[in-house]
Amino acid sequence: MASTRSRNGWAIWLSFAIGLLLSVSPMPQFMEVFRPMWLALLLAFWTLAVPGKVGMTTAFLLGLAEDVLYGTLLGQNALILTLITFLVLSLQQRLRMFPMWQQSLVILVIFGIAQLIQLWLSALTGNRLPTLALVWSAVISALLWPWVSFALRGLRRRLHIH
Amino acid sequence: MLVVLSVALMVVDSRFDLLKPVRSQMGLVLMESYWITDLPQRTWQGVAGQFGSRTELIAENEKLKTEALLLQGRLQKLAALTEQNVRLRELLNSSALVNEKVEVAELIGVDPNPFTHRILINKGERDGVFLGQPVLDARGLMGQVVELMPYTARVLLLTDTTHSIPVQVNRNGLRAIASGTGNPERLELRHVADTADIKEGDLLVSSGMGQRFPAGYPVATVNEVIHDSGQPFAIVRAIPTAALNRSRYMLLVFSDRRTPEERATEAAIAQEEADRQGAGHGQAPATPAASAAGSAVQPVPGAAPATATPAASPAAVPPAPANTQPRRQ
Repeated sequence: MASTRSRNGWAIWLSFAIGLLLSVSPMPQFMEVFRPMWLALLLAFWTLAVPGKVGMTTAFLLGLAEDVLYGTLLGQNALILTLITFLVLSLQQRLRMFPMWQQSLVILVIFGIAQLIQLWLSALTGNRLPTLALVWSAVISALLWPWVSFALRGLRRRLHIH
Repeated sequence: MLVVLSVALMVVDSRFDLLKPVRSQMGLVLMESYWITDLPQRTWQGVAGQFGSRTELIAENEKLKTEALLLQGRLQKLAALTEQNVRLRELLNSSALVNEKVEVAELIGVDPNPFTHRILINKGERDGVFLGQPVLDARGLMGQVVELMPYTARVLLLTDTTHSIPVQVNRNGLRAIASGTGNPERLELRHVADTADIKEGDLLVSSGMGQRFPAGYPVATVNEVIHDSGQPFAIVRAIPTAALNRSRYMLLVFSDRRTPEERATEAAIAQEEADRQGAGHGQAPATPAASAAGSAVQPVPGAAPATATPAASPAAVPPAPANTQPRRQ
C-alpha cells in the first residue's frame, strides 16, 4: 500500500511538473494567445479523479509556482487555480456523470469565469492590455479537455491511482 | 480561506518588498523549467553546429573576418573621435564622458503572456546585475531589468505597454518620451508638439534624462509623423532599432551609478591633481585646444558655465572659460 501510494504521488506530481513546463514552453508569437491552461486542465482532472489527494491546497501551491514563472503578482494565479478547483469540486458529483462533451462545456464555463477574473485582476494591477483575447485560452482548453482526460484516465488505470 | 490568503499575498507583493527574497528563491528552482523547455532547440543548434559542412564554415569564417575588419576600421576612427570629444569637453569644462562596462547575457526564455513584452536572461543577482539595469543588443537599447533572481533576471522590453523611455532626436536634440505600445515593432512619442521639428527617418537616441538609461544609445527610428489638426499633439511612431523579438545575445550595461554631481566633483578633484603635477608644463596642451575651440564650441552655447564645478581649483578653471568665452561671441 505504502509503495503504491508513493508511486501514485510520483505520477501526479510528474504530470504537474510537465504541466508547468508546457505552460512556459516557447510558442510562436501569434499562438501565445491560444496557449491552453495546462495546469488548470490537469488540476481539474485530478480533483475529479482523486479528490482526496489533490485539492485546493495543491492548486494554491501550483498557482504560486506559476506566479513565479510568469512574474505576475504572487498570488494571482494561485487565486485563479484555487477558484477553478473550488468550482470543479463543488460540481464534482454531477461532472463525473456527464458525457464528455457536456464536461467540456462545463469546463469552458469554469475556465471562462476564471479567465475573466484574471483579466479583471490584471486590469486592476495595471499590467496588461485589457482585451477579451484571454478567453481564447479557455476555449482551447475546453477543446483539449477530452484528450487530456482520456490520456490521464489511461495513466490512472495503469498505475492504479485511487 | 486560501482565496483570502492569495488576495493578501497579492496586496503584500504589490505594495511591499517583503516577498522579493521568497520569489527569488522560488525562482532559483523554477526557472530551470525555462532552461528545460529551451533544451530541444539548444540541442538542435548544437547538432547543426556539429554537422555544419566545411564549406559553410569557411564561408562564415570569411564573412566574419570581413565584418571584423570593417568594424576595426570604424573603431580606429572612433578612437580618434573619442579623443577629440574628450578634449572638447575638457575645453567646455563639462564632465567627462563615462566609459561603460558591458557584459554579455543570453536569452533563456520569453514571457508566455502574449500581452507583456518581457524576457528572461541567464545573468542574475550573483553576476552583479541590478534592478533597472539597461540592456542592449548589437543595434540599440532593448529594455531594463525589472526582476532579479540569483542566476536569472527578467527584462522589460521597450515596447511593453508599461514602459517609457526618455529620448532625443539625434539630429537636433529635441527631447521626447517614447512609450511602448504592446507591438514589438512600434514605439510612440507622447506629447510632441505639432510644430516640433521631427520627421520620418530621424534617429532617436536615449537622452539619459531619467537617470536610468545611459545617454546616446540608439533607441528607434521615426517612421511615421501624423499631423492631425483634430489632435492636440502630433502622432509620432517609431520602430525600435534593436531586434527586440529576435536577438538571442544581449549586453548588460554597467554604467557609473554615481550622481552627475558626485561625478563632476570627482572629475574636478582629479583635474586638480593633474594640474598640480603638470604645473611646470601646464600651458603646453592648452594652445592646440584653444585653436580647436573656435570651430567646435558654436553648436553648444551655454553649456560651459552650467557644468563648471565649484570644487575645481581657482588656478585651473579661469583659463578655460577665458579662452572659450570670447570666441563664442
